[in-house]
Amino acid sequence: MNTVLFLLLAFPLTGALILALTGRFLSQRAVQTVACASVIAAFILALTAFLLSGHSAQTVNLGLWFAAGSFHVDIDLYYDSLSALMTLIVTFVSSLVHIYSTAYMRAEGDNVRYFCFLNLFVFAMLVIATAGNLVFIYLGWEIVGLCSYSLIGFWYSKPGTADAGRKAFIATRLADVAFGTAIALCWTDLNQLSVAGINDGASSLSSGTAAMIGFLLLFAAIGKSAQLPLSIWLPDAMAGPTPVSALIHAATMVTAGVYLLMRFFPVIQCSQTVLLAISLVGVMTVCFGAFSALVQRDIKRILAYSTISQVGYMFLALGAQDLAGSMFHLITHAFFKALLFLGAGCIIKALHEEHDIFRMSGLRKRLPLMFWLFMAGTLSLGAFPLTGGFFSKDRILLSVFLQPDIHFRILWVIASIAAMITPLYAFRMFFVIFYGKPEADSNKNAPIQDLMTITLWPLAILSIFAGFINFPLNWGGSLWLDGFLQTIPGAAAETHPSSQLEWTMQAGFALMTLTMVILAWVLYSREQESDELSGTPMTEAFQRFFLNGFYLDHFYQERIVIPYRNLSVFLWKKVDEGLIDDGLDRKAVFFMKLAERLRLWTTGQISDYVSFLVAGFVMILGCLTALWWFK
Amino acid sequence: MISFPILSAIVFIPLFGGLMALACAKNDVICRWIAIAATLLDLLLVLLLFFLEPIPNISGGWIQVEDFPWIQSMGIRFTLALDGISLVLILLTSILGVLVVLVSWNGINRFVKIFHFFLLAIQTGVLGVFLATDLFVFFLFWELQSVPMFFIIGIWGHEQRIYASVKFALFSIAGSLLMMIAIISLYLVHASQTGEYTFSFLKLMNTSLSWHAEILLFSSFILSFIIKVPLVPVHTWLPDAHTEAPTAGSVILAGLLLKTGVYALIRFGFPLFPYAAQFFTPFLVLLGLAGIFYAGWIALVQEDLKRLVAYSSIAHMGLIIVGIGAWNITTLSGSVLQMINHGITTSALFIMTGMLDERLHTRKLSDLGGLWKTVPIWSGFFLFFAIASIGLPGLNNFVGEILILIGTFKAMPWTALAGFSGLLWTVVYVMKMLQCSLWGKDKPRPGVSDLSLREFAILAPLCLGVFWLGLHPGPALGIIEAAVTAMLDGNIHQAFSRAGSP
Repeated sequence: MNTVLFLLLAFPLTGALILALTGRFLSQRAVQTVACASVIAAFILALTAFLLSGHSAQTVNLGLWFAAGSFHVDIDLYYDSLSALMTLIVTFVSSLVHIYSTAYMRAEGDNVRYFCFLNLFVFAMLVIATAGNLVFIYLGWEIVGLCSYSLIGFWYSKPGTADAGRKAFIATRLADVAFGTAIALCWTDLNQLSVAGINDGASSLSSGTAAMIGFLLLFAAIGKSAQLPLSIWLPDAMAGPTPVSALIHAATMVTAGVYLLMRFFPVIQCSQTVLLAISLVGVMTVCFGAFSALVQRDIKRILAYSTISQVGYMFLALGAQDLAGSMFHLITHAFFKALLFLGAGCIIKALHEEHDIFRMSGLRKRLPLMFWLFMAGTLSLGAFPLTGGFFSKDRILLSVFLQPDIHFRILWVIASIAAMITPLYAFRMFFVIFYGKPEADSNKNAPIQDLMTITLWPLAILSIFAGFINFPLNWGGSLWLDGFLQTIPGAAAETHPSSQLEWTMQAGFALMTLTMVILAWVLYSREQESDELSGTPMTEAFQRFFLNGFYLDHFYQERIVIPYRNLSVFLWKKVDEGLIDDGLDRKAVFFMKLAERLRLWTTGQISDYVSFLVAGFVMILGCLTALWWFK
Repeated sequence: MISFPILSAIVFIPLFGGLMALACAKNDVICRWIAIAATLLDLLLVLLLFFLEPIPNISGGWIQVEDFPWIQSMGIRFTLALDGISLVLILLTSILGVLVVLVSWNGINRFVKIFHFFLLAIQTGVLGVFLATDLFVFFLFWELQSVPMFFIIGIWGHEQRIYASVKFALFSIAGSLLMMIAIISLYLVHASQTGEYTFSFLKLMNTSLSWHAEILLFSSFILSFIIKVPLVPVHTWLPDAHTEAPTAGSVILAGLLLKTGVYALIRFGFPLFPYAAQFFTPFLVLLGLAGIFYAGWIALVQEDLKRLVAYSSIAHMGLIIVGIGAWNITTLSGSVLQMINHGITTSALFIMTGMLDERLHTRKLSDLGGLWKTVPIWSGFFLFFAIASIGLPGLNNFVGEILILIGTFKAMPWTALAGFSGLLWTVVYVMKMLQCSLWGKDKPRPGVSDLSLREFAILAPLCLGVFWLGLHPGPALGIIEAAVTAMLDGNIHQAFSRAGSP
């Protein structure tokens, strides 16, 4: 088992190292083979580990990383059912994305850089999933950020892409300051950093400290998972290659924040305030993402905002103390969002880099295969009854509803309204892309490579049927996921709802979704140039507001970025060069001037020197006389 | 302990090599080879030291002590002593010593012999500072490292070299003048108390001073040190000196000279005047923090790549001072390690800027951009060292930073919190640096070639160092920690506990 876990991490890392060191000398085919092989090997190992592992958690110590004084950090792994699921999802989606990328990147240059960072990303993500202590998690946490940065800016010569990467890195780094502080706080108050140790010691923490650690972890998670108020980086991150968006900015990395909170759930559970804050962040982000997604025109931006929104549901579930529900949605989301992004990548390639959904109409005839695959993703995203997304989202809403606290009732109402928006924007996108009048010359689309579509099939099947991993009790299901996660600290057995409540909830939810799908059909299935919602000035204002992501970006630009730069310029020009340096320069100049004056006395003429001598003599004599006189 | 005076040999081999280069070299190439030979020999001797017992067995944490009478009438002895802290620092010195000769291989074409003489003389000065325990000898070496630097900047520098070198000299002299007076005063006070005329700092440590005298003497010492470090607000010589110096000069400045200030603070400043040190520590920490914020912010808007790295240097040194201010095993080990880390990454960035300057004849950020396309291998290294300097876990700077910050958190949570925010400022300016140089639209740059074998050979060891200290810092930290523990257990600890502080 130890070997399996070690190799699980070693394979992608070795892949990345081989590519970094020797990639320049390899052919494109060799590069792609190395990258894919290492990740597929990791998937097989993850599967092996999953099958081998019992219910108890396992720790593997790979040695000491560093130590000074009493502080020491090991390189150790902690493998429990949570890590088992996460490693499976990460390696599964990564494998598909890698295979997809081989076709997608064939025509692009610089495959080495692309696949090297992609492999490194898989390694780092697996570190987050299996690391046994906070500092080691932080290693993975930062490396995924680096990979995300490099891959967003992959086409660096296109204007704006490198900017988007930088934005993502800085926004997530802001949150990492909180992560670092959380590490320091855990070490100071608990004297240990291991996952198990912190979770065991959580009960001994004072409520204030526990809340503080909880808030710090929450803030760290907010950055990585693009929740409010740090959600600004994700829509811009779409500048990267589409497979990267699918893997990093939808299926895996953005859920790392959720995973971090799951990892330290006992600590978070200590404080009711933290739980409420988590669900509040979740609900607000759900609404933010849903409304913004409703009016976007760029297909990737729609999906990006929908990711923000869906990850918000995972936060909401955690806040409602439903770890299994959160994980359930994480899994289904990974499938359907990866599917949608990869599908979008195919469509964009086929239409020669066209991103605007209103210029894609009528693709049902032109890309019939994509129509069915994309539909699977859309159904699941829109929580169409009986798809994976339906069951996972229903589960979350149910858990929120079951929370005794009155606050959660309010959150439930808001989340339900947002859940109505989801099918609306999902099917808006779908209908606009695939229905309407097809363009005249339908032959102009570029061919989609078979390899790309083949990888979508497993995702499509899983998107539809992933509900089976946690089939609700009232359907005769067994809640397999709940059972599997039973051993996770903090994943307490939730209060089982009555079967009647479950039926009512599901029926209401299904009805709501169907209504919204019909509404979307009415609004968007006809041919149109732009958005139907625009009409009165009022709605236009709202539309602009949503289109610009609530002007959050604008706000940051005006209130933080520009003042920061101005402060820098001020400090440099006015303080550093002005006050400090100029002051010193002036002193130096003063002495130089003084010296110049003194130098004038050195005329070189004997007569001048004699007169100086006489003058000095007279002065001294004068002084002596004066002294003598006044004495 | 071995009987062969290996430390003296290590100290004087560079100077001897420099004199050889000056006297014997028929042409420039031979001169360069002599310099390489001398520095390599030095490196070899330093590596031999690791075969001595690295965890010390003689008192005071010393691994090797060499002591010769010199000017006996005044009690001056030529004393060199090695402990774990000096060991890692002289290793860094000797490695960078080889690299700076290699770096100057093509870039320096005027007065080559004199250049190498100065280059090697500085190394003797720096090595001497790291090893001397006699204050008089220490002061001599302290000056020996500044004077050749003045000429290196002034003769082989860029456009504003005279201004920069005079500024550097004035700052250095201002500091060391006060320190000289303080050393002599301490010497006389000690003599009047015990009747023994000595400059040995181990003996001077036991001098009892009045509160005012201690404050006064400590301030004189510390001013000289913090100018070298440098701390805000006596840092303004550094951006100019760095920007105008030739690459080798910048590397020595950033990699070695700045470290001598911190080292002197740990070795002499705090132990000699524990009460005053305790009194001044909050100010030092405050200045260190100020440096993290102030220099970090200013670095963002720099237009010259070298100046940006220079300001980042000030910010990094600020964090090291914070770690020293917290004064416990974790933070001190972290600070010493961070000195090495900073020596590696910042030197690498300066070297790479120099390589760029040799190719494009510009360091202005607005002229760069799209370099990934032009010089991919250079860019790969540059990206690597840049992300090392923002403290990516797994690379060297992270280990030092986390040790400093976590160790500080226990004693001074708010200080540590402010230090953590420094992680963010670093990212902001490093991202801007990468953005302006590597990414963006590529410009046509005909005839610009990627790294040569020589340049690759310079960067590869630094690269390995970054990985080694980032992934397996255990051995290095063990040596440092042993020395720090000995230092804290010894006189300093007693002195501190006398002063009523842990």
